Amino acid sequence: MKRAKTEELKTFFESLSDKYDLRVPVKLHDGTRVLGSLSEGEFAIEGGKIPQKPTSVFFPQFDEMFVVTDGDVAMAKPPAKPIMVVGMTAEDLDCLEFIDKFFAENFRDNIYYNKRDGSVVVGVSGRCGKDGEFMKIAGGKCDIELISDGECFIVHPYTDKGEGLVEKLQADECGCGGVHMEALRKESDALPKEDEETVDKASELIRQGKVTDEFWDEIATRCIACTSCNLACPTCTCFEVYDRERDGKMVRQRIWDSCQLDGFMREASGHNPSGKQLQRTRRRIHHKLAADVERWGHRTCMLCGRCDEVCPTEIGIKSVCREIVKRFS
Amino acid sequence: MNVMTKTKAEEGASHIYEPIPCEIVSKRDLTPLEKLFRIEMPDGRELGQRPGQFVQVSILGYGEAPISISSSPTKRGYFELGVRNAGTLTGELHKLNVGDKIGIRGPFGTYFDVEKLAGKDLVLIAGGCGLAPMRSLIQYCQDRPSEFGKLTILYGAKTPEDRLYKEDLIEWNESSVFACSYAVDGVPAGGCFNEGQVGLITVLIPPLELDVKNTVAVIVGPPIMYRFVIAELKKKGLAEDQIVVSLERYMKCGVGKCGHCAIEHLYCCLDGPVFWLNQVSSLKGAI
Repeated sequence: MKRAKTEELKTFFESLSDKYDLRVPVKLHDGTRVLGSLSEGEFAIEGGKIPQKPTSVFFPQFDEMFVVTDGDVAMAKPPAKPIMVVGMTAEDLDCLEFIDKFFAENFRDNIYYNKRDGSVVVGVSGRCGKDGEFMKIAGGKCDIELISDGECFIVHPYTDKGEGLVEKLQADECGCGGVHMEALRKESDALPKEDEETVDKASELIRQGKVTDEFWDEIATRCIACTSCNLACPTCTCFEVYDRERDGKMVRQRIWDSCQLDGFMREASGHNPSGKQLQRTRRRIHHKLAADVERWGHRTCMLCGRCDEVCPTEIGIKSVCREIVKRFS
Repeated sequence: MNVMTKTKAEEGASHIYEPIPCEIVSKRDLTPLEKLFRIEMPDGRELGQRPGQFVQVSILGYGEAPISISSSPTKRGYFELGVRNAGTLTGELHKLNVGDKIGIRGPFGTYFDVEKLAGKDLVLIAGGCGLAPMRSLIQYCQDRPSEFGKLTILYGAKTPEDRLYKEDLIEWNESSVFACSYAVDGVPAGGCFNEGQVGLITVLIPPLELDVKNTVAVIVGPPIMYRFVIAELKKKGLAEDQIVVSLERYMKCGVGKCGHCAIEHLYCCLDGPVFWLNQVSSLKGAI
């Protein structure tokens, strides 16, 4: 496997920008790390997960469904260049794997797959987290994984597409016969698992019906309905649909929606199955940790921690799970 | 903004969010609030629905809304939508006229499974607007009565004037196919109601004589109605696997993606709107 310096990776991605719509971690002038093109800011592969949900490259906040011009309906088409997204963590890749399944099941969502089909996904892991912390190695679920050893990145392709691309990377071979990679894997396996154990335990308690409405009500009173949790969550996929006029054309677009808003389920008749904050708070957690276990066979919180980081009242999913385990175990 | 001419779907493309332009071929008032639209697909195509399914209706510029299909697939060449003027989309739909086109996606959702209901005595219980989806099953039973046992229709509305499909109610009552009982919650001062009882729809259930082992009840109505009707049916001896409910939820996509219609792990648009009661009775907020 190749072992590349950060600068070599930047050159590599730059060389692919003609062929791909590149979304790499860049640091903006204000210091924010986002997924963008290399022209938008300094290449910032190190620093941990991107604060925004990375699945937004395939399921953006606003997305065109179709445009009507003089009565002719033109459905959304695949992008001119396929998307290459760089910088997904192991947890992000779990999220992507789930929403790939979600958007494919029953009715294949053309709008999502317009972008996802033909895309390239590059994961990042190892000793390049925030303040140098070790990030879990995904070991798959992407085309290429960049695994930091603290100085350079071991470039691990997992798919034929990934192998084809890595061939073009100008970097030395690692030359250690896999010893180096094995040590990093062991370090990854030894990462603490408290969060996973807590969330799994909370999921079990919810599914056993042990978490009371009184508890959900307590959590609900702390929610200010800012919707940050939904906006940050890589597995949140709810959307609203609007028609807009633009340049004399009618555009139907979908926009992220939030189950934390009181009108989310309100019907035209006025009936509202989630009209109380308690119901909405319960849904936010129950959906990921119980309902989706029933539907998909696994929880759909992948422990990325974004909701905990953005929640102004500290009722992100890990925080609530810690309270559930403490109170109901 | 409501004019749709052609889409890629007519050229054979497949896109789950692509509305097919369909023509309104007739329109009539059901009540001051509700109208019945008869719709035809392009090129004489059939919608291909099953009783109890719904379509997503589009009016460009005003969005999309799920509307129950209120005609049976046994009626060939068209389908009908009974629509209450209750929101942006339905308000605009009411303004459209014969010859105008609307966008249609679907049919979507689960349906009243007439194969599983075959041979059973059916008690079809509708409240208010619930008669719109129920009418698709009633028409099916009317056209194929030999497939079922005894057929009973119970319908309740707020007032005599609020009743939907009044001509159908008379026809079904006069038909030898159905035993019908109707109720209204109340009669405005100076009005009268000679076609049934004054009271909630639940008053119609105790007098029923049921062959309990061979009966299935089907319920469609406003959310408040279900628990009381279910309680009365259970008193008659019906079990949860003998009761079918059709639930209404806000929906934007109709295909299990937008998330608005989730009832715990189920999506009302995909796994419903038609459920056996034992699928949903333990789910919070379902009934």
